[in-house]
Amino acid sequence: MVVSKMNKDVQVRAAINQTLIEKLEKENSSELLRAKLIECGWKDQLKAHCKEVIKEKGLEHVTVDDLVAEVTPKGRALVPASVKKELLQRTRTFLAQHASL
Amino acid sequence: MRRGGGSHQRCLGLTPTPPPPCVQPCCRPLCYEQSERRLHKSLQMKMEEMSLSGLDNSKLEAIAQEIYADLVEDSCLGFCFEVHRAVKCGYFFLDDTDPDSMKDFEIVDQPGLDIFGQVFNQWKSKECVCPNCSRSIAASRFAPHLEKCLGMGRNSSRIANRRIANSNNMNKSESDQEDNDDINDNDWSYGSEKKAKKRKSDKLWYLPFQNPNSPRRSKSLKHKNGFSVCTSASNTLPLLFSSSGELSNSDPFKYNNSTGISYETLGPEELRSLLTTQCGVISEHTKKMCTRSLRCPQHTDEQRRAVRIYFLGPSAVLPEVESSLDNDSFDMTDSQALISRLQWDGSSDLSPSDSGSSKTSENQGWGLGTNSSESRKTKKKKSHLSLVGTASGLGSNKKKKPKPPAPPTPSIYDDIN
Repeated sequence: MVVSKMNKDVQVRAAINQTLIEKLEKENSSELLRAKLIECGWKDQLKAHCKEVIKEKGLEHVTVDDLVAEVTPKGRALVPASVKKELLQRTRTFLAQHASL
Repeated sequence: MRRGGGSHQRCLGLTPTPPPPCVQPCCRPLCYEQSERRLHKSLQMKMEEMSLSGLDNSKLEAIAQEIYADLVEDSCLGFCFEVHRAVKCGYFFLDDTDPDSMKDFEIVDQPGLDIFGQVFNQWKSKECVCPNCSRSIAASRFAPHLEKCLGMGRNSSRIANRRIANSNNMNKSESDQEDNDDINDNDWSYGSEKKAKKRKSDKLWYLPFQNPNSPRRSKSLKHKNGFSVCTSASNTLPLLFSSSGELSNSDPFKYNNSTGISYETLGPEELRSLLTTQCGVISEHTKKMCTRSLRCPQHTDEQRRAVRIYFLGPSAVLPEVESSLDNDSFDMTDSQALISRLQWDGSSDLSPSDSGSSKTSENQGWGLGTNSSESRKTKKKKSHLSLVGTASGLGSNKKKKPKPPAPPTPSIYDDIN
């Protein structure tokens, strides 16, 4: 009983650790992505688009949902191919490293 | 997972943007929770998948794509929140300029102009007036000119020149100030050599000797021969005596000697003491007094004597003069006397040995040495008489009529003979 309990603890701990590692990796990746997007001008492009949307809708009546609905598809499309490639590579590497768990 | 706004953002990996306008859980936008849940689910799924061994590449690829999509979505969301907050707080449109200003500062794209619309080499043709010398200088040359003009730059040697100018002003010597400046500047800048060469006509009476402003002079110095140095040094004598008829104390100050053995800064007493211990012959090249001993081989006694007479008056003698003849012969003479004797280089009135030696060394200036020595010993009386006659003439005509003084003296000498 004790042994099995210990085993479970170990497993849980291992799982938690893994989660933490992944979260850390995720955070790092997203920081990296943000920096790259700013660098390549993605943010400025999107901002210009936002301005137009807001001017259309009127400054007072803009909601987050509106913005999200407008911005997200455009944002996804505007990400440059090089940035996408790099990020994918990073993720694959990470997965390859940690796949054997 | 806690449901605070901050922690949520952390989970999503968003930058520390401020929380959305309303923080109440009930009002939080839907997307938050949706993405949160999705993320959690995907993570769990991944973990489960990974714990199962035997993942194939396609699945891995699918997972990678999913993770990427999540990341991009996070960035977009974060951006949306920023914009929304900026809109609601009123600073979203702050960085915009009005269309008029935009037109003013539009980027210029014409050939020959930079993006501000300025011409490239606009300042090449512009000329500025120097506040110091009031000359019009090209703009690109203005800074170096100012450096030299004001004497404040690293390469400007005007400190010495300024000192001369100051001492010149102090003493207010009446004659040849420009000449002296030119001569003084000889060593410092080539420009003054041109001026000096223009004045060659004024100094034709130097012709028997080496032209003091010719490059030969400096070349002779470079050989560092005993004789060659002497020739250039001896050429200083005509220069020294040309300045004025009187042996005023202003004379030394016209001739620029650099620091070290600069006699312009020495008083008469110091000069005297200096001359009793050192050779003191002024080198034409550097305008410095020789600091070697009284028996220095580079200069002759005659030169030393001449320097002493120049500085200390006609009665000055070398400390170690061998014969007393010098005293006698120079009792009545001033600098003018020496001048007249100096020009007798090519004259036929002197003894054959004199003229012969003087002719051979005509351009070397040795004529001075031989002339003086010979006349000193044998013709001192004659020299007295003739010198008196020509002294005044020389004094006044030194600058403007170089040639006339020469012919008269032989005639006078003939009379005496």
